[in-house]
Amino acid sequence: MTALVFYVFATILVLSATMVISARNPVHSVLFLILGFFNAAGLFLLAGAEFLAMLLIIVYVGAVAVLFLFVVMMLDIRVSEAREGLQRYAPFGAAVGAVLFAELILAFGHWRIAPAIDAVPHLGQAAGETNTAALGDLIYTHYVLLFQACGLVLLVAMIGAIVLTLRERPTGRRQDIERQHARTVADTLELRRLPLGRSVRELGGFARPTSYSEAAAKGSYDPHAPVLSDESRGE
Amino acid sequence: MHDVIASYFPVLVFGVIAVGIAGAMLGGSLLAGHQKPYAEKTSAYECGFEAFDDARRRFDVRFYLVAILFIIFDLEVAFLFPWAVSLSHVGLFGFLSMLGFLGMLTVGFIYEWCKGALDWD
Repeated sequence: MTALVFYVFATILVLSATMVISARNPVHSVLFLILGFFNAAGLFLLAGAEFLAMLLIIVYVGAVAVLFLFVVMMLDIRVSEAREGLQRYAPFGAAVGAVLFAELILAFGHWRIAPAIDAVPHLGQAAGETNTAALGDLIYTHYVLLFQACGLVLLVAMIGAIVLTLRERPTGRRQDIERQHARTVADTLELRRLPLGRSVRELGGFARPTSYSEAAAKGSYDPHAPVLSDESRGE
Repeated sequence: MHDVIASYFPVLVFGVIAVGIAGAMLGGSLLAGHQKPYAEKTSAYECGFEAFDDARRRFDVRFYLVAILFIIFDLEVAFLFPWAVSLSHVGLFGFLSMLGFLGMLTVGFIYEWCKGALDWD
């Protein structure tokens, strides 16, 4: 049963990874990548690493895949243009892939888990303890400096993203909730007693109090702007 | 290994059923439906007139900013989960280390709040 589930997950993982690099549409590539993430999470689960499997789904499927979709949509890739260089770049890609593959073989051919790993005192996992609890026992006490460094890295990422992408756009349409709540009728509306038979047509149909141009966001309201005439309003 | 399969067996059953239903719907419409595509039918339809340009146009970079901020707080939650599971073992020191971590991210949160990175005008 375990072997069957493993082979199903592994086959779908390899097939979807192949589709990631060979799909014509980049959005389809990202969707196949998500399928690959799910199957890799299944493999983690089979290997007994429950927390890593759930983390893969929460972080990679939930957040990183969305980021990839935005990147694909922002890059403005034309499908036909993206296929043009395939023949030309195939040898270079194959060479890079071969080098990486050789390195992987060299690394895993000599990979050995340290024989005294069970003797390291803080790495023991008590019987019946989930690996989430085993990780939690270590991260926050024994590896506290690395944990705080993670927090710093996240802080730097947050500030860096804001600095790189946030630009001031003086559109004047930003919502200021405090000012909205503090607004009274007298700030915006002015009641006038007009002689019978005359409308506010010569005032442009409505009248703002003079304080409005001061209260409005800068550049969004011009009290001297030409008022729409009746013809253009379709009366 | 077998207890992993046993404890996640309902999830496996759900997955198999989901794949089966999705495959049945897609395959059924593929097999049973009449499909006669021609150029007019498969081209983009835009309210009667010819399509102006491609749908693959550039997105505003602010979507990307929102996604990055989401990833960062997603990772924060991922750190909170094992902490919550083993809070009874890690003691006051573990509690305070998580408070330091959260404090650092709160500094970033206040920064992005004050910069207006969460506003959408």
